[in-house]
Amino acid sequence: MPKNITIFTTNTCAYCAMVKKYLSAKGHTWEEVNLDQNPERQAEALQLSGALTVPVTVVTKQDDSREVIVGYNLAKLAPAVA
Amino acid sequence: MSEAEVQKHDVIMIGAGPAALAAAVYTTREDIDTLLFERGVVGGLAAITDMVDNYPGFAEGIEGLTLAQNLQNQAERFGAVIELGEVTKISDEGDYKRLETTSGDMLARAVLIATGSDYKKIGVPGEKEYYARGVHYCATCDGAFYRDKKLVVIGGGNSAIQESIFLTRFASHIDLLVRSSIKASDVLQKELQKYVDDGKITVHLNTATDEIVGSDNVVTKVVGTKEGAKVEFETDGVFIFVGLVPNTQFLAGSDIELDEIGFIKTDKHLMTSMRGVFAAGDVRSGATMQIASAVGEGATAALIIREYLEGKLVPTSEHAEEIITPQPC
Repeated sequence: MPKNITIFTTNTCAYCAMVKKYLSAKGHTWEEVNLDQNPERQAEALQLSGALTVPVTVVTKQDDSREVIVGYNLAKLAPAVA
Repeated sequence: MSEAEVQKHDVIMIGAGPAALAAAVYTTREDIDTLLFERGVVGGLAAITDMVDNYPGFAEGIEGLTLAQNLQNQAERFGAVIELGEVTKISDEGDYKRLETTSGDMLARAVLIATGSDYKKIGVPGEKEYYARGVHYCATCDGAFYRDKKLVVIGGGNSAIQESIFLTRFASHIDLLVRSSIKASDVLQKELQKYVDDGKITVHLNTATDEIVGSDNVVTKVVGTKEGAKVEFETDGVFIFVGLVPNTQFLAGSDIELDEIGFIKTDKHLMTSMRGVFAAGDVRSGATMQIASAVGEGATAALIIREYLEGKLVPTSEHAEEIITPQPC
């Protein structure tokens, strides 16, 4: 179980909704950073992911190591939050 | 997983876009046990479309994401179950079809393939290298990164025009590169003209895209050809909407027949060359690539699947079936 999860999203992003749907189905909670409401945090999302896209999901593990998942990618998201 | 543990369902639908969700509304209302598999986004391309203006029943149009969520909520209200995962293979075992999935093997008496399509790549240098770092296929996902920046949009169909208009919310200016002429609907073309008149969008007809160029991991320009001459467009990012490709890669090597492009061939009852496996929506050969027609095909497929499950759809010759006792809904 991760220590915490942060998702960078936008209002119109359907893939962001899918990440939240998956995490919700698995019983996880998360902090959401909506880049439409917080455009000043775009640079942070870009720095973490290296990509100009959302969703960006940052999973912090119990040992404080971090995994960044770009886009809605179940093959990476599922093991990262298991 | 032992054979006894393999899940069995009346119907498994591969995909959870408008066609499958509409089909699921019909099958679940008939108490037909229905499972949907979705590897991407529920609602398919409709969900990542900014605004759907031509779906009947919404006088002012409806946001694609909202339409997708409504379709999902309606199907789930009647008992449809959507599993987030992927089907990797289908094989025919007679009365049951075996599906190899990311959740293990499953058996279904009937299968509906409604995996839809994805935006096509143009295959020019720079497209792959700058993917998600300046090259994009989803305006509603990535447009927000281009506030007050210059963009190039490539394409001349409905999606290219619709998404260009959406991107004007963010971009300072858009160069729209159209290989030949604009193929979008008259309504969209009239809407586009407003943005052209305002100077927000410049349309470049007969302009082929040759290369997407960048430096230091950032896209800087698009190089193309117009009437035999080289043209360049300085930009901060590129959005590409040049047509659709079917999501049928998982059927490679299967007994399900595809057309020369990769869309699934069906008979008049939407049945594929594998008996008991049906196809509907954008993935079907001959589909009109409209949400309204995908929903219609989904509903039709569901009613035919009901007949099939009840043994009322019998083969009359190779690839020809007849419903022997039609049951109006």
